[in-house]
Amino acid sequence: MSQARDTQASERAAMEIRLHGRGGQGGVTCAKLLAAVYARLGKAVQTFGDYAGERSGAPIRAYTRVSDSPISNRNKLYQPDHLVVLDPTLLGPEVVSGLAEGGTLLLNTPLSPEAMAAQFGRFRLATVDATAIARKHGIGTRSVVIVNTTLAGAFARALDLPLEVLEAAYRELGFESNVPAAREAYSALRVREAPAGGGRLPRPAVLPGLPAVLPLSEHKEGPPTGLKTGSWRTQAPFYLRNPAPCSVRCPAGNDVVGFVQALARSGEAAAAEVLGRTTPLSAVCGRVCPAPCMEGCNRRELDGAVNVRGLERWIAERVPVAVRAAPAHPSPRRIAIVGGGPAGLSAAYVLATAGHRPIIFEAERELGGVLRTGIPTYRLSRAALDGEIDSILRLGVEVRSGQKVDRARIPELARAHDALLIATGLQRLRRVDGPGEALSGVEQGIHFLRRINLGEKARLSGAVVVLGGGNTAMDCARSALRAGAAKVTVVYRRTRAEMPAIAEEIDQAVEEGVELVFLRQPLGFAGAGKLEAVELAEVELGPPDASGRRRPVTTDRKTSLGCDLALLALGQSADASLLPAGWKLEAGRAHADGRPLNVFAAGDFSTGEGTVAHAIGDGRRAAQRALAALGLEAEVWAPPDAPKAVRPQDVRMGHFEGRPPAHEPTAPAAERVHNFEEVGRGLRDGAEARRCFSCGDCTSCDTCLVYCPEGIIRRKGTAYEVDLAFCKGCGICVAECPRKAMEMRAS
Amino acid sequence: MSRELVSANHAAAMAAVLAARANRSGRGFGSGVYPITPQTECIELLCEEEIEKGQVVRVESEHSAMAVCIGFSLGGARTFTASSSNGLAYMAENVFNAAFYRLPVVMMAVNRTLGPPWNIWVDHGDTLMLRDAGWVQLYCEDNQEVADTILAAYRLGEDPRILLPVMVCQDAFILSHTMMLTDFPEQPEVDAFLPPLELPHRLTDRPRVVGGLDFPRETEVHRIQHANAMALVPEVYREVQATFRSRFGRALADPVVPYRVEDAEMLLVSMGTTASTVRTVVDRARERGIRAGALRLRMFRPFPEEALRGYLAGRARVGVLDRNLCPGLGGIVWAELRGVAPPGCLVQGYVLGMGGGDIRPEHVERVLQDLTSRQRAGEPSFVEVGS
Ligand code: SF4
Ligand code: SF4
Ligand code: SF4
Repeated sequence: MSQARDTQASERAAMEIRLHGRGGQGGVTCAKLLAAVYARLGKAVQTFGDYAGERSGAPIRAYTRVSDSPISNRNKLYQPDHLVVLDPTLLGPEVVSGLAEGGTLLLNTPLSPEAMAAQFGRFRLATVDATAIARKHGIGTRSVVIVNTTLAGAFARALDLPLEVLEAAYRELGFESNVPAAREAYSALRVREAPAGGGRLPRPAVLPGLPAVLPLSEHKEGPPTGLKTGSWRTQAPFYLRNPAPCSVRCPAGNDVVGFVQALARSGEAAAAEVLGRTTPLSAVCGRVCPAPCMEGCNRRELDGAVNVRGLERWIAERVPVAVRAAPAHPSPRRIAIVGGGPAGLSAAYVLATAGHRPIIFEAERELGGVLRTGIPTYRLSRAALDGEIDSILRLGVEVRSGQKVDRARIPELARAHDALLIATGLQRLRRVDGPGEALSGVEQGIHFLRRINLGEKARLSGAVVVLGGGNTAMDCARSALRAGAAKVTVVYRRTRAEMPAIAEEIDQAVEEGVELVFLRQPLGFAGAGKLEAVELAEVELGPPDASGRRRPVTTDRKTSLGCDLALLALGQSADASLLPAGWKLEAGRAHADGRPLNVFAAGDFSTGEGTVAHAIGDGRRAAQRALAALGLEAEVWAPPDAPKAVRPQDVRMGHFEGRPPAHEPTAPAAERVHNFEEVGRGLRDGAEARRCFSCGDCTSCDTCLVYCPEGIIRRKGTAYEVDLAFCKGCGICVAECPRKAMEMRAS
Repeated sequence: MSRELVSANHAAAMAAVLAARANRSGRGFGSGVYPITPQTECIELLCEEEIEKGQVVRVESEHSAMAVCIGFSLGGARTFTASSSNGLAYMAENVFNAAFYRLPVVMMAVNRTLGPPWNIWVDHGDTLMLRDAGWVQLYCEDNQEVADTILAAYRLGEDPRILLPVMVCQDAFILSHTMMLTDFPEQPEVDAFLPPLELPHRLTDRPRVVGGLDFPRETEVHRIQHANAMALVPEVYREVQATFRSRFGRALADPVVPYRVEDAEMLLVSMGTTASTVRTVVDRARERGIRAGALRLRMFRPFPEEALRGYLAGRARVGVLDRNLCPGLGGIVWAELRGVAPPGCLVQGYVLGMGGGDIRPEHVERVLQDLTSRQRAGEPSFVEVGS
């Protein structure tokens, strides 16, 4: 090839395209894409950038030559046939220099060609808002939008290049995912033809004059550069707080990143203060919450979730969270709350701290609801529970205990108070609905737990079967062991992977000797007068259902499992019969005859979600709704927008050192099965908080300041200031921020 | 064969990888690499490749990069590295060592101006600084030639009659960062073109000293052998050209590439991509009736004296375009070429495009104008090009 070319002249006849962009915008890649398109059309091509010691953001040029014969011209392009401008702020006489009248000028701008005609009307003008299109399609780096591939689509349209060839070139160069944006630009391009009579005129090349240069033996004077690099900028960095996934996922609405970071930066008092803004029950949640925050924790991707639950307990054990001052309200309202479980307590806390008078009606002798009757003491010490309830009551909450409120009394309570909240939890228990359910020895797990937890005599012996796979099932199984059962078997209709119980609970149950039997569906119970066995059908897993879990399909193969006691832990639902006839719940508020009442549902009664954290969040919401309805508080908390949360790929893992999570020490299994004492002993210290990335929340780590190549980010207190006169919009600060506490915005 | 739109940096790396894999049935491939603009892309691509029986060692300096190549080569592996400019200066000691050990190392050098003050653009001064290092030096004019020359360099340097390292040079940015369609042969074709390296003096499991002390007599003989091997290069290169053509179906350019020389009264001689621009100017001159021609010097070491004498015979004027400067002498190509010009031939040196300025046809026109109007040769003349 060389030889052939060496013996035959091939000057001229090449079509020349020049591109103007900024370092980092992908101008060279754009030029290459165009070259690849023409190469596919059988042309000889050559493409290159005009390299300097380029700083990202500095104006750069790139070139593409296209010819029917081999190209041996190695000069830059001085008289292009077409010009592509990636960055509208570059436009000026220098950019269009050498472009012949009638040559195509393709601009990335939201403006129409007509709007540009006054200045550039002698050219064939083509415009497209490639930045908007690329942004819409999410094309770019971690920080900045990149328009090159989008603009290449517009170029193809301007020069009538076939779209299929363009798409093939994208595939070849690995830009397949940018094709939709290119296609959009292809159809969005607007063109204004040049006035007739223009066209390329052969012009003699004029060599530029050469500037004088100082000898090296002389000092250059003046500052190194007076260049205001801020004029290069199309986007600027912006500091903001992005939602952390832990906080987004917390059903109680806790500011998880906030309290963990407060602990890491300022200690447990500051952390307790953050917790107290949303929950009065941190000692409780720090023990029994399934911790969806940890499931969402970005640190899982590095070396394991931050032990948020452990930290919450650690903080609450040192500084009570529910101690917020309760300023007297000028006109305090009396609000009745039916049910003293977590939702009722949370609502009471909100109302009391706002200076109102909550009055809790509780059926049991003591407050706590399921926390007291359902959750065994080896999971939640009563000292911790009582401590937090006391803190809440001290804020000025009245309690009427031992008062079961029935349906008839609801309207009466509603009339007697400014508002009424119903927070009775889940009262209706699911059953097997099979033969033998009435036999002695078949009992609802919840009732069994209540007996145990309220200290009634419950010594067991023999074999116990627990039906179900949730936390209640685990609580029943482990409590039965502690109460003396010789053997405990949990029967669940799916597999371990689908068990809704907290993973650690399952692990601990197995450690303690609980047996798990999977893929069995209870059909009924056998026994003469007294339970002797549970009848089970074998189950197979069928195709996934709407939730993505494989649906259990019951077969007709049957087995039976001998036992002395069967505990039903098959789930619960709210008992809607508490609502008076004609009342209907709409968005958590009761309505009668279509008119809203000042009666609100709270917690599991309202949502059916069934965790303490959900109850806390919803109790707060219900209290705020009630206040809002009374014209007292406008802001009602709503769970934040999950899709906006910081994702693992937004975190610069490389900025963090690996350190495995801290786990709570637990009592040895052999010891703990003999008593009801707390298994988890709590974290040894709060150092775990320092593992938190602080997703989306600036820690004043200075990374942005250090990485800014222009050195123009300055500290301003704990925040930062960017000198926009020099910020060139490269986005390096944003790309380097370890925790996505910054973003680039159009400027 | 595959055709790819790649920069000459990538073309060099892709060719080196083909050569590396071709030695998998022999003693494999090893390379020491250190980045420097404008060759970094080349070694980056090399580092990304999985090469069977191959290893790329990332070291802390150019000096060590060549040391690693020397080690691999002494072990019988095929080897490759790339460098540029001040990197070559720092590497220099081991550049000589590779040649004096008679190791067929192949190095791609991107010609870049030596600093300070720093300049990243093309200038041939860096590799010409190493003209006495005992390497074969080949200068390329386009991307295809870079890829082809890397492959040919192995065949040439590994020939048992030669056993010399080969430097394949290309112009910074004008080639290194310019993408053009380039043809690459398939691996089996390369396997056939590059049989496994048999280095006669490779180290085995029997310990030996290499490069110990030479007494005057030994050095004398070793240098003469080195000179003799160099002297054989043009002949072996012709054989490589023939094999290359039969294997890959395209020509490998001559050590000196002529352009419209048949009836030329005057010749413009250049190296690297300047030659492309020179050809344009020759065509324009011919249109005006001026009998101009051009030579491109592709092989600088060994200096292709015989070929040059042949082309220069009977010419009245020769202009040499140097993209380098030896202060106190002038352009290096000019200085060497003077010695082979026939008596009575006017040989004038021009220095232009130092520091990477864009040598445009208009600049070469000035050279031609000066050459035609001259009565006799004078001091080397500077043609200032600007940016
Ligand atoms: S690392 Fe910290 S901020 Fe990020 S998700 Fe985990 S707990 Fe939340
Ligand atoms: S880099 Fe550090 S200091 Fe800068 S915004 Fe991100 S977290 Fe804050
Ligand atoms: S790194 Fe500096 S110059 Fe770049 S966008 Fe951030 S503040 Fe601006």
